[in-house]
Amino acid sequence: MRLEKCWFCSSTVYPGHGIQFVRNDAKVFRFCRSKCHKNFKMKRNPRKVKWTKAYRRLHGKDMTQDSTFEFERKRNRPERYDRNVAENTLKAIKKIDKVRVEREARHHAQRMKGKRAKERKEAAKELEQSIHMVKAPNALQQEPSLTLPKIKVQVSKPQTEEHLMEE
Amino acid sequence: MIQPQTHLNVADNSGARELMCIRIIGASNQRYAHIGDVIVAVIKEAVPNMPLERSEVIRAVIVRTCKELKRDNGMIIRYDDNAAVVIDQEGNPKGTRVFGAIARELRQLNFTKIVSLAPEVL
Repeated sequence: MRLEKCWFCSSTVYPGHGIQFVRNDAKVFRFCRSKCHKNFKMKRNPRKVKWTKAYRRLHGKDMTQDSTFEFERKRNRPERYDRNVAENTLKAIKKIDKVRVEREARHHAQRMKGKRAKERKEAAKELEQSIHMVKAPNALQQEPSLTLPKIKVQVSKPQTEEHLMEE
Repeated sequence: MIQPQTHLNVADNSGARELMCIRIIGASNQRYAHIGDVIVAVIKEAVPNMPLERSEVIRAVIVRTCKELKRDNGMIIRYDDNAAVVIDQEGNPKGTRVFGAIARELRQLNFTKIVSLAPEVL
């Protein structure tokens, strides 16, 4: 049983899942699900689609270089069955998986360091710059200190034109 | 899914370039032909100065289809084009070379000659 990698999203393709496309030059493209197959048919580049492994690796979102990935490499040499080797492999799988998960968590923590402080800083700045959006417009009308004081102006009634005509 | 009036590419050097399916060999009212099925076809386009000519009626076996092919182990394979190999009444290929990838199903259907000529069997 061989577990292949999806051409588009690099996830594992288990037997009986997905579809294979064979180009006329005999290059095989394996897809894990119809989502990846459709994206391929739309001629999308996996390096530009944000949810793919290729994008995440390219933009430093995921751990790329690690010794735990070496175990997952494709090997074309068939291995002769050995009971002891199989037993040890099964034991090692659990351990390697644990190590990988821990390292990935560390990588994530490293990447997210300083994010909280940055967010707070940005929020404080926004609050300072756009406080006028927080205060309701009605409050401004009611608050006397915020509006200009009303000034009474004496208005003298001018003589109308009709009066002038009579004279 | 090859049916009468379907145009197919030719995946060998027999001299035909394009075929049109006119009949599917098998059941009397078989609608579609799939990989490994034999069809009666007419040559729509031929290479000049070759034994096969335009509008000649021949038999051909389908080797690639755009329609997905399902295997018993759950594998689903789809090819780039619809293609066939020109054969004679006994099932031997008329050409001496086969181009492109070919499905493994042909071996079980006694087209071993075509499979052995193919550069890639998938």
